[in-house]
Amino acid sequence: MIENDTKNMQINQTKAYWVFFILVAIGVATFIFGLASGHPERAWQAYLINFLLWSAIAQGAVLFSTVMHITKARWSGPISGLSESFTAFFPLSFILFLLLFLGRTHIFPWLHEDLHGKEVWLNIPFLFWRDFFGLLILYLLGFAYLFNALQLKFDPNQPSGKIRKYIYNAWKQNHRDPERIKGRMTIYGGLYILAFAVVLCLIGFDLVMSMDPHWISTLFGAYHFVKSFFIGLGALIILAAVIRLKQGEGSGIKPNHFHDIGKLFFGFCLLWADFFYVQLMVIYYGNIPEETHYVIVRTMLAPWNKLAWAVFIICFIGPFFILLNQRIKTKPVLMLTICSIVIVGIWLEHLLLLGPALSHDVQSIPLNLSDGLISLGFLGLMVIAVGYFLKVFPEAVPAMENN
Amino acid sequence: MPPKRHIMGLFKSEDKVVAAINALKQSSYEFIRVNTPIPSHKIMDALKLKSSQVGWFTLCGGILGFIAGFALAIFTATRWNLIVSGKPIIAIIPFVVVGFEVTILGAVFGNVIGLLTQTRLPSFRWFKYYDARCSGEHFGVLAACEPMQEDGLKDFFQEQGAEVRIFETIKESPQL
Repeated sequence: MIENDTKNMQINQTKAYWVFFILVAIGVATFIFGLASGHPERAWQAYLINFLLWSAIAQGAVLFSTVMHITKARWSGPISGLSESFTAFFPLSFILFLLLFLGRTHIFPWLHEDLHGKEVWLNIPFLFWRDFFGLLILYLLGFAYLFNALQLKFDPNQPSGKIRKYIYNAWKQNHRDPERIKGRMTIYGGLYILAFAVVLCLIGFDLVMSMDPHWISTLFGAYHFVKSFFIGLGALIILAAVIRLKQGEGSGIKPNHFHDIGKLFFGFCLLWADFFYVQLMVIYYGNIPEETHYVIVRTMLAPWNKLAWAVFIICFIGPFFILLNQRIKTKPVLMLTICSIVIVGIWLEHLLLLGPALSHDVQSIPLNLSDGLISLGFLGLMVIAVGYFLKVFPEAVPAMENN
Repeated sequence: MPPKRHIMGLFKSEDKVVAAINALKQSSYEFIRVNTPIPSHKIMDALKLKSSQVGWFTLCGGILGFIAGFALAIFTATRWNLIVSGKPIIAIIPFVVVGFEVTILGAVFGNVIGLLTQTRLPSFRWFKYYDARCSGEHFGVLAACEPMQEDGLKDFFQEQGAEVRIFETIKESPQL
């Protein structure tokens, strides 16, 4: 997936990097074509799913570094620094959120419904303003953390560009004492963790759960942020695996690192399934029609039930049995494959949550080539963002430090 | 055959222990064991122990527990056939709770049985040819040799930078 992150660090090999620009162009073209065709809501649905998925990946991956710093963990070694590179997607994610406003009539099925008193919370201006400020705070905290984290690693011998000079000058006004910088990292990292939980809850409620405005699950927000950390870890493992495969032993990422982060990934796989189950359990016992219809449509009735089983097998049953094995967790190629499949599974899970609310009474699952192409466009954006970051700040890559 | 002589090299550094183990394994002396005051990955790696089988016990225990948990819930439910709030008699979703708990219980039992059978516990022989300094700040590498090789093994340990302790041969067969 992010195969070219490392290629583009080696400045001579930038050819393959262009593939991702082409992917973005294809994605944008497909999206615009979709808007112009008879079903703009389908294009917006793919856009929303991808916005949620890729933003969650970036937010979740950065969370890893902050959690490692707060807990003073040493086991993650170079991977912790690598996870900070996902901050580069934050500005893109923010712009993508703003663009979502244009599609508001297509992505909020409750716009012209009687909401029985929920209008106070569910109305377009309030929804967009609160999510706007939520994301803004989260991303600013992420950057504040990154600003301090990078200062500790900064290597003045690396080739310097405009951004590096600009940040270097900013650092001169910052504290130089490593202890003070670490203290600031603790503050911003802690706030980022808090903001992550709160803002991702909010996004989960506003952009996923509210699609079916009469359905409530109190735990849905927590489910959403656990899922985000889960796929964030997945993407981080993919990036680490790509770098390890390209640079071998010199990358400083050892099989032990893969084993440890694989265990964490496995743990969050279980936690994700657990958060799904505890919601299901309560709804099952309560047996209130208002709550059960959401689950029945998605897990028991055609066409969505097949998708539900597919998601359950891809994201839980499969990884659970595969990741029990210790040796598999230490192999970068296998972990790369498993994590990629899980991320595709979570894409489908977003479709499962949003699809029935956005496409009523469909005979088959609304999924076609254009969804895939738009998703590839987003993938391209992510790779370009992360690749650009690693190019500007090669310190984030462990091998560069060693060399 | 005369009984073998047991000699222990006492080291203060982990790395020297690793070097001594590697050298011992290539020599004609019989390597017996290492006593260490702390758990050490380096020494574990140098010993090249067979990978533990305890995990298989845990896995089997977990699988048995999973089956037993669901079986217990289903069996007890069918004894009464009482329909509660419109739910089926065999309601899989809530039974997951019982199944999950008993899976963990089974895995724990499997693990304990694995530990008891695979780690050769309890051991009453550890104090044979044991030096109390190995509970302090020394690593002890124990090796055995024929009586005529005694000086050779002693020199070997001294070359590796160890203090040497030569044990009196214990009469009954030293099965360590």
